[in-house]
Order: sequence, then structure tokens, then C-alpha cells
Amino acid sequence: MNIGEYNFPDELYYDKNHAWALVEGNAVTQGVTEFAQKISKEIVYVEVPRTGRTVEQGKTFMSMESGKWVGRIAAMVSGAITETNEELEWDVAPINEDPFGEGWLAKIEASDLGELDNLLKASDAEFQSFVESEIEKYKDILEGA
Amino acid sequence: MHLYDLGSVPWPDSQLTYHALPRLHREALVLLSPASPYVCIGYHQDLEKEVDVEFCRANDIPVFRREVGGGGVYLDGDQLFYQLIIHKENPLAPSDKTTFYRKFLEPPIETYREIGIPAEYKPVNDIVAKKRKISGNGAAEIGDYLILVGNLIVDFNYEMMSRVLRVPDEKFRDKVYESMRENLTTIKRELAEKPTRESLNASLARNFEKLLGPLPRAEVDEELRNEVSRLSPKFLNEEWLYKIGRPMEGRTVRIASGVDVKHLVHKAPGGLIRGDVEIADGAITSLALSGDFFFYPADKLTDLSQALVGRKEAEVEETISEFYEKHRIESPGVEPTDFAKVVVG
Repeated sequence: MNIGEYNFPDELYYDKNHAWALVEGNAVTQGVTEFAQKISKEIVYVEVPRTGRTVEQGKTFMSMESGKWVGRIAAMVSGAITETNEELEWDVAPINEDPFGEGWLAKIEASDLGELDNLLKASDAEFQSFVESEIEKYKDILEGA
Repeated sequence: MHLYDLGSVPWPDSQLTYHALPRLHREALVLLSPASPYVCIGYHQDLEKEVDVEFCRANDIPVFRREVGGGGVYLDGDQLFYQLIIHKENPLAPSDKTTFYRKFLEPPIETYREIGIPAEYKPVNDIVAKKRKISGNGAAEIGDYLILVGNLIVDFNYEMMSRVLRVPDEKFRDKVYESMRENLTTIKRELAEKPTRESLNASLARNFEKLLGPLPRAEVDEELRNEVSRLSPKFLNEEWLYKIGRPMEGRTVRIASGVDVKHLVHKAPGGLIRGDVEIADGAITSLALSGDFFFYPADKLTDLSQALVGRKEAEVEETISEFYEKHRIESPGVEPTDFAKVVVG
């Protein structure tokens, strides 16, 4: 579904750090939303973590850079990293051009699917209200000022 | 929040201090300049792509990788640095980067204006005077703290800056030099008389206090000194500088019991190497090597892949070494052990 003019696929989970998660059994694929990419303008670097590492929901585990700002990305679920999109370290185009697809960041084998209760769906009123407030907050950037 | 007005410090301290403070959970404004020149690269940068490492080594110019973003820069005592360390939850810290830069670049802009330079904020992270950049700024999240690092440029060594960068040829270097002269200015170029370092730092402190409230002066205490010493081995070694030792492990797909197909990637000093390998019962059944490294004779790369087919994983490194010797392979910055990493992981 769209919130404002930004796409938030219904099947995904979201957090308030502008990340998405696709859940297939215990396998959770994580990325950043189209909206995150728009407010970052251009993501210029991504550093992915090593596979095998365990991560904790809400704790940072990788980094990306835009506007000379090194930002940290928090894991959406706890578990072990089974795969990372390591090609992003050499070519960031997919995250800028296809953040919900080829620009995925990491796959995590979730240790507790109950943590999904801490995430939101696009249809949740709380999430829609959050995105609307973010659109207002980043209005200048989104309008290209 | 405290003010550490440190004056001229040994070059490693000019970086390590602001890396140490968030780790000690201290908010601070640090004002300093390095006592000797060095090159500083951004957190995500590839050192050898950005910096002429041989030139720096030959001229005793140290190189440092910071945790803050941005590009490679030549830093020296003619640049006065402000380093702000503020907790993410501090109500004075905007959470979005544009507002953060806009807010905290106001004090240096005001300092420039006080000395007669018409500085202005240029989104996202620049300060310009008459359309020329006059301050470089970068930011990072370190733990629960937001870090802003930037400088007042009293004077700038354009020649050394263009010299330390890795460029394809001298013509390009000349272009870099000319472009910097055209697009980056300094206090010295803008004013007939240079203000003193002390007056500039006093002005910076005063202008930051307008945003942050009173900043009691602090000295570098034992705890901070110890944290700087603790961080030194990590930040001043080659593994961190080159970011080697963190080869990406790539994807492994288990086809069947005992049969794996792997896509392995390894960053060697001489370039990126990729290996697509199938391994059945511990032996290589197919292999393709590729990447952006120099390998001579180039046609032997396919032969190297073929030479490894049928070998057990334990034999890989020795087989590659023998191949190198037999065919007199030259691959600067890429050793047989680097290839082994994309074959057996």
C-alpha cells in the first residue's frame, strides 16, 4: 500500500528506523525502505556484517553512509546472520534503485518469532501515523530543497 | 557537557579523543588541531583506491581511518577542529541528519561571520563563503552518541592534498589541484590579516555555548588518557587501516549432503577476488575465478582454475603456489593465500 506517495508492501514488517523485514518461516530478510532511501538522498556506502554472527533485535549490526554521515542499522529480529548482500559493498546501486528487492541487506535466522510483535505492518494505524509524521519532518529533503 | 580546549595535540590524539569520549559515555565539545600533518580517510573508504599510500609512506605522512563518513583529506595544524559528541536522546540533538548538520554548523558559520567572512550553510554538510567551501564536516553514530567533526580552515596545503590522493595520472592530479584552488577557500585567502588560533577557538566555544548552554572547561583526565591508549592498537594498525582480515564470506548453497556451491569474495590489497566453486566430498569439482586484480599472464587465470579442479581442499594453497612458480605469475598485492580464501573460504 502507499502512505503518501511512498510504497510500503503489505506483506512486509516495518520498524521506526525505516527498515523492512520479509518473514519466510524462521528466515527473515531485512532491508531499508524506499522512504529511507529517499530521505538519505544517495546511499554511497554499505558495510555488511559477517555471516554466522548473532544479532539482537534493536541493536546495530551494520552501517551505511550518505551525506558524509555514517549511520548504523539495527537488527529487526534476534538470531544468526545466514547471508548478506555483500555485493553492496562494491556497488550500492541496488539499494538506491531497488531497496525492496535487489537492495536487501541481510538474512537472519530468527531465534524468536515472537519478536515480530514488536514490529509493525503497513496497515497498522500506528505505522501510518508514524510515516505521515516522518513525511512532514523530512518535507524539505523530499521536496528536493 | 564539557569543553576540552586542547590546542595543538599529537596527530593520533586529534582523532582518538573523539572516538574515546562516546565510549566513556561523555558528551563533549573538543577543540584541537594536530601538531603534525596526516591523511585521514572515511570509515567506508577503500584506502588504496583513495590514497597514494606509497607516497605517504615515503614522506612519513601517517594515514588514519576514522569512524566518521566522508572522503580522504590531508589534515594539518592550519586547520582548527571542532568535534561534538552528543547523546542521541539529548533533546538538543536533532535525530535527522540534515537538521543536525544545519543546527550544529551554525556556530562555525557564526565564527566565520564574526571575523568578516560571509559564511553560509550549504546542505547537507558544507559551509561555503562566496560559493567556495571553507569547512569540511562529517558525522557518525558511535554507540548511543552522535558525532560531528569539522574544521575552520585557516590555511590549506592544496599541493599536498592533491599529492596524497590516488589518481590515474598526473594530468588528473593537476585538474584536482586546480579544482580545489577554485572551489575551496581559506581564512588566509579571504582576509588580509589572520585572526589568532586562540581567538577563533574562543569564538567557536562561545557560539556552541549559545546552542548547548554553558560548557565547563575540562582537562584530559586519566580515564580519557587510558581510553585513548586502549583504542590506539585498534585504530593504528594496518588491519583496521586496510580493513583487511574481514573478507566477505559470500554465499554457500548446500546442493546435497556433501555438495556445496559457494560464491566467495575476498578483498586482497591488490584488488577484489571472486570465486564460484563447487565442492563435492571435499574436492573441487568446478571453479571460476574473477575480480579486478592484475594477473599476468592474464590467460593463465583460467588455467589456474582448471589446475585446482579435482584437488582436495587441503591441497589448494600448495597447488596455487606451485602454479605461480611454474608459470611465473605476477599479481601485485594478490598472493596465493588470497586465492585460497575464495576457493576454500
